[in-house]
Amino acid sequence: MTWSLFQLLLQASLMTIFVSAISICAGLAIAVVLSALRMSGNRLAYAGAGLFISFFRGVPLLVQLLLIFNLLPVIGITLPSLATAIIGLSLCTAAYQAENLRGGFEGVPIGLIESAEMAGFSRMQAFVYIRTPIALRLTFPALVNEAILILKSSSLVSVVGLVELTKMAQNLSASTYQPLPIFASAGLIYLVINLIVALAARRAEAALPGLPAK
Amino acid sequence: MRKHLLAALTGAALLVGTTLTAQAQDALERVMAAGTLKVGTETAFAPFDFIDAGKHTGLNTDIYAEIGKDMGVEIEWITLDWTGVLPGLEAGRFDVVAGPATITKERMQRYRFSSPIAEATVALLVGADSAVAAPSDIAGKPVGSGTGTAQLAQLQAYGATLDPAPTEYREYVSFNESYADLAAGRIEAVANSLPNIAFVASQRPEVFKVVTPAFGTPTYFGFPGRIEPEFSSLMDKIDEILLAMKADGRMAVLQEKWFGTTFDMPDYVTDPSI
Amino acid sequence: MSFDFAVILAKGPQILAGLGVTILIWVVGTALAVALGFVVATARRFGGPLVNAVLAVPVEVLRGTPFLVQIFLLYFGGPYIGLRLDPVTAGLLGLSVYGAAYYSEIFRAGYQSVPPGHVEAAECVGLSRGQTILFILLPEMALLVLPPSLNMSVILLKDTALLSLITVPEMTMTVSAIGSQQYAFVESIVVLALVYWGLVELANWLGRFTERKISKLSVT
Repeated sequence: MTWSLFQLLLQASLMTIFVSAISICAGLAIAVVLSALRMSGNRLAYAGAGLFISFFRGVPLLVQLLLIFNLLPVIGITLPSLATAIIGLSLCTAAYQAENLRGGFEGVPIGLIESAEMAGFSRMQAFVYIRTPIALRLTFPALVNEAILILKSSSLVSVVGLVELTKMAQNLSASTYQPLPIFASAGLIYLVINLIVALAARRAEAALPGLPAK
Repeated sequence: MRKHLLAALTGAALLVGTTLTAQAQDALERVMAAGTLKVGTETAFAPFDFIDAGKHTGLNTDIYAEIGKDMGVEIEWITLDWTGVLPGLEAGRFDVVAGPATITKERMQRYRFSSPIAEATVALLVGADSAVAAPSDIAGKPVGSGTGTAQLAQLQAYGATLDPAPTEYREYVSFNESYADLAAGRIEAVANSLPNIAFVASQRPEVFKVVTPAFGTPTYFGFPGRIEPEFSSLMDKIDEILLAMKADGRMAVLQEKWFGTTFDMPDYVTDPSI
Repeated sequence: MSFDFAVILAKGPQILAGLGVTILIWVVGTALAVALGFVVATARRFGGPLVNAVLAVPVEVLRGTPFLVQIFLLYFGGPYIGLRLDPVTAGLLGLSVYGAAYYSEIFRAGYQSVPPGHVEAAECVGLSRGQTILFILLPEMALLVLPPSLNMSVILLKDTALLSLITVPEMTMTVSAIGSQQYAFVESIVVLALVYWGLVELANWLGRFTERKISKLSVT
């Protein structure tokens, strides 16, 4: 394990951080929309959101990526590797985050929603300004967990041609035939990234307003 | 559950649609008009394709550089995991695959292979201090190879002729894991094509060595391409350039560079031995 | 170009064997992970600050590194320090220890959600520590920990596919081997997608069923 090999791993980890960060944020936005659809009272919206969540949680991410990369060109949409990776990761994490949010939305005290309605909020306004912030606050630890899981699952995007940390480790061990030190180093880099995420989350959580009393 | 089944069936139907309708235009004309030949490959298959100091290199990049020069087009590399390479070829993501892959009867049903670029005959890689001196010494010992590969099939066929047979055939998702397990001491030998294991042994002589002679029946590596008629002009063109490279000595120079040796190869493999 | 499922389905018995291995490792691995995770969370809750701090280290390391890296180092690196495991043992050990780190965090959040007053009240009426956990804490946190636990078991199911790397003959390994023998890559991917989807739906159904049962119990 030389410094130049370690540098290559570090460079590749930037790709890991980049795709993961975008996917977490996009995934969260989609998850909120999915939750809204599920609670809209519209049967079709409910079923559609349910099918989306079922598919993206049920089918392995590797398969989803291959389908986006190789099936969409048939209907004329040829996405480059980076876009495929970000879309695949975002949709997959959106499904998991929507499941996490389900618990959060159920935890919003009914009284709060009722008082929002009495104060003249529309259903939409109550959803955007009252229920969503509280649900997000309630499920913040689960969101951090999901972020760490996505950082690690992002290793699968190499199947559509992106070279991130795990792929670089595989490439380097396939040309140097020294897999153990290389994989151990890659593991260390993942650990450092995730510890930073966890620490930042802890500070953010302390800074967030407290939970409403039950 | 029923709506899920329906969705799955729609997906499957869509897949069938892909394979039927994609690209009716002549592939060679399309490539020449675009000025780019797109080549798909994986980068964990030394010495054919691998990453050296962060750069994609190997025999394939050298051969395709010559093909691009002779055709007057740019080569665009699309590097994926091997799992994604052949689906990518079928989806029209690229025009041809580097790889290469062992030419077998079954695979020729599905893909058109180029003129062979290297010998793929199977030999054994063992630990540097192993007592295995000839292929038959693996009798009664655990051995390994890549899962679903032609090399594994050859190892099993050879093992069946030994008495006692090898105790176990371990199957690995890629040969790189089999080398790691050989180094860890779980298996006595790895069966893989001679060019690959010769390269492994040359990179880590303190850990690995090659057992000669090769034990498998003679087989060859070729570049897989599409089998449909609209691709035959492109594959013919690639064959023409590969044969010219063999005739004028460029291929021998490249083989010497990457394998440290040259191979005698037929111009075409029409009836593979496996 | 043919789209030929027959080549895959002809190997039905082989695929079923792989499916059996996947389910076995998933169920046993998840059960061990839940048990170990519960023990770790309980030790961190009641063992004092030192135990809590010491146990935090392996939990963070296991959660912070990819399962693929862990399993690779355990199986291929283990023999260098005298730990020579066979593939299925290494796979089960790796999966349950990895999962335990996540489950311990799920249970930790569960313990935190129970108001301290309830624990004090239980102690006042003379319940032992074990009785308090069993009759007060576990039932109170059950509804909260169930959804993330189910999510985690789904994640563990998909992680079993990574065990193909260390030659465990599970379903991904079996089906992709058939795919690469026959060069039927696309078909093998579709088959894998459908089978995993089915398994996940099954797990979801079981989870919702349990959730309903528990919420009925907590009302009465």
